[in-house]
Parts: sequence; structure tokens; C-alpha cells
Amino acid sequence: MKRILVAVIAICAPLPAQWLHYPTPGIPRTPDGKPNLSAPAPKTADGKPDLSGAWSAMGIKYFFDLTADGTEAPLLPKAAALYKERLALLQKGHPSERCIGHGPTDYATLPAPRRFIQTPTMIAVLYESYNHYRQIFLDGRALPPVTQPAYMGYSVGHWDGDTLVVETTGLDERGWLDMNGHPQSETTKITERYRRRDFGHMELQLIIEDPNAYAKPWGVNLVLNYFADEDMIENMCENERDYGHLVVHGKEGK
Amino acid sequence: MRRTLLAVIAISAPLGAQWLHYPTPGIPRTPDGKPNLSAPAPKTADGKPDLSGIWSTADMKYLANLAADGIEVPFQPWAAALYKERRENQGKGHPSERCLTHGVTDFDALSVGWKLLQTPGTIAILYEAYNHYRQILLDGRPLPEPTQPAYMGYSVGHWEGDTLVVDSRGFNDIGWLDDGGHPQTEALHVTERFRRRDFGHMDIQLIIDDPKAYTKPWGPTLHLELHADEELIESICENEKDAPHMVGK
Repeated sequence: MKRILVAVIAICAPLPAQWLHYPTPGIPRTPDGKPNLSAPAPKTADGKPDLSGAWSAMGIKYFFDLTADGTEAPLLPKAAALYKERLALLQKGHPSERCIGHGPTDYATLPAPRRFIQTPTMIAVLYESYNHYRQIFLDGRALPPVTQPAYMGYSVGHWDGDTLVVETTGLDERGWLDMNGHPQSETTKITERYRRRDFGHMELQLIIEDPNAYAKPWGVNLVLNYFADEDMIENMCENERDYGHLVVHGKEGK
Repeated sequence: MRRTLLAVIAISAPLGAQWLHYPTPGIPRTPDGKPNLSAPAPKTADGKPDLSGIWSTADMKYLANLAADGIEVPFQPWAAALYKERRENQGKGHPSERCLTHGVTDFDALSVGWKLLQTPGTIAILYEAYNHYRQILLDGRPLPEPTQPAYMGYSVGHWEGDTLVVDSRGFNDIGWLDDGGHPQTEALHVTERFRRRDFGHMDIQLIIDDPKAYTKPWGPTLHLELHADEELIESICENEKDAPHMVGK
């Protein structure tokens, strides 16, 4: 129970949240007017898959634990010790305690919606949570040398057939890959492979590589669902004042 | 000097910030390769002005005070009293103390860059400061009845000739219109008129209409410059720990 309480604080969802209902313009619909989620995936004017729209991850299990399906993260000893410590602390110490937000992996696995705004040269991902965004550059630039580690890192993408392959480096070691605390470091590289299977469903393969934390690449496959006829709401994190109240093992947090 | 210090904290810019220099692809350039900032403003495929790019005001004066140019602010008496109190308190109590961000008017006035990304149905504005964003919906929907007051409000836009007119409502009364502390209420309606004069310059006429706080609409016209060949850097606010150290009454 304690873990659940801490997690509810950490994801920072306003409890009375009401999404605005507004029919998403220009999407395929069945004869009864509902969004046709099995219609073909749309294309952009230049013939690429169009990933635009609001999306939401099904369920919250990977948000807590990327290995929720029983996969084993190939932790190297130092990372294994840190992970064990974070697990024992029931997530105390996660950056979200201080409203710092998430990174690419835990924003990806979050059920709260995120909207993709796609242009030929970039995709902006607008997250409802924390009102944060992320940029994915599609203009062919290379990943720059890491000079300023960041929670979102630096992301470039390219098309591999109908799959958008996004590579991210430059991550800040203070971020956590999931709420349980799988570590990341400045040598972490995240690869995301997005494939919009049909109008309403997008497959996302997440691959985590970090020679300083994991013995080999590992990850998880998710499905994102299209979030039709609703708007994202503003969700500024105001819970930084909860920081002092987080409970660990029945003691007051520091 | 104290006020200056507070403002620096409030905009939350990392001091060691280094922008990534990357040549912006596809922009007009002069023969020596520099961005041609006086080239004509570009158009989108559907013939609308394309406002895309990284923009900011040239200086901080409007962030500190939207009436910086000598505009007489038509305060209602309670709003005048609250503004005076905030001034005397040197900005203490601004939401940014707790990393709670700005709203439409103060983000517009900020001299830290923001990226405008224009698609036919939506404009997204990505602010470097706070790593926050805002959406402007261009799909013809009406402004909804405010049900959930927000720092950014709810914004819809339409074109009047070459000017993008953006109407925003649904603001909370916790936000401040500027760092100086001009008050806002849930009755606030902000109109922004964006006009890209040429490739490198855009004006935003801000009209602040909040009959509960002001007797008539008021606001400045902001002049923005394009930042070519640069990128936004991540600026997640971590200054919430500064709140207890803020100086004021």
C-alpha cells in the first residue's frame, strides 16, 4: 500500500481531472460516428507514416517496472546495488518528488496522454504530465556529443520503412528509467521503434543500452492507444511541497 | 538589485547554458552564409504565413513590467492594491518560486527563446524555460467554457489576413501577468495578434482584457527576433528549493 500511495503522488495527476470532450477533426469514423480505430494508419503529404495525435499507454505496469513481464534487466553489479537500494526505499528519491518530471522511457510508459505534433523535419511530443515536451529531430542531423546531460536527452529519428527509429543520448544520470528505479547514466542510449499499426494503435519497442549499467541491451514492447475526441488538460506539478512528507519504512522523509 | 536577482531566479535559466549551434536547415541566407533576417516572411503550403522558428524578445523589460513603456494600467482598486503589495514585496510569492511557471503574457515577453511549430490544425509553442509548452488550436473550434482554470489557459487562433489572432481564456488567478505582479483573475481574456514582419522579426500585440481587475483592455506590442542556427536547451526548473530563501516582507 505504501508504494501505491507514493506512486500516486509521484505521477502527479490532478484527481478531479476532466478531459475536454471535443470531436477530433478529420479522423476516420464508423457509421455510428465513433472513431474508427482499425482504419489504416494515415500518411503525411510526403508519404511517411503520420504519427500525429494524442496517445496513451495501456496500463501502468511498465511505468513502474520496465521488467514487469518477467524479463530480467541485465544489471551490472553497481547498477544492481543502486536498483536494490531504490526498491528498498519505496521510490523515495525519484525526481518527481521535486516535480522534476520523467524522461523518455517513463513518459513513454505512462498512461497519461501525450500528443505527437509531426512535421517533415521534427516531431514534438507534448506530455500532459508536468506540461513537459520533448523534441525529436528528423532533419538528418547526427546525435551531438554529450555536453549538457538532460532529463529528456537529445533525440534524432529516421524512417526504417514504416517504422520511426528514434535514438536518444545525452541523458542525465539523475533520471530513473522507471518508478522502481532502474538506473540510467550519461552513457545510456535509448532506441525507440514506433510503428503505427493502424489508425488507433501504435507499437513501441523500447531498447535500453548502457555499457556502464547493463551487460547487454534490454527493453520492452508496448502498445499505445489513440486518444480520440478528448483534449489534454494542463497538469503543472505542484507537489513539490509533498517532498518532506514522503514516508519510508514508517519514518518521516528527509 | 534585489529585484534583478529575483528575476534571474524566476526565469530559471541555467547559468552555464550553452546553446547548441546547428545551422537551421532551409532558411534564407546572405551571400556570406549568415541568416538573412530581412528576407520575406515564409508561407506554408496552404498560403498562410509560417510563424515557425525560435523567437524571443530582445530584452527583459516587458517580462519585468508589461507596462514598461509608460502605459497607464487601468487598475480596479483592489488590483492596484495587490500590485503595490507585490512590488513592495519585490516579487516574492511569484509562482516561479515553486517552479510553477509563467502564463501566456509573461512567456511571450520572456527573452529566453521559444520554438513555434506550426501545423495546419495546431501551433505548439515549446518554451525553453521550464521545458513547458502551450497549444494554439487552429481547427476552428470555439473557446470552451472554462471549467478548469490553468496557467496557460485554453487558446484558439484564426487568421485575419497575414495576422494570426489568438484568443485565450480559462486562466487561473494564481498566475501573474508579469514578474512585476500585474494581477489576473479567472475572467482574463488575452488576445495576441502575431504578425511576422519579415524573416527575422515578429510582432505580438498583447491585449489584456480582465474586467474584474482592469477597467479597460490594455497591453504592449512586443517585438521579437528570430534565433537562427541555435537550438533550445533543456531547462527543467529545480529552483523550488529556493523558495524559502526569497527576500521580501
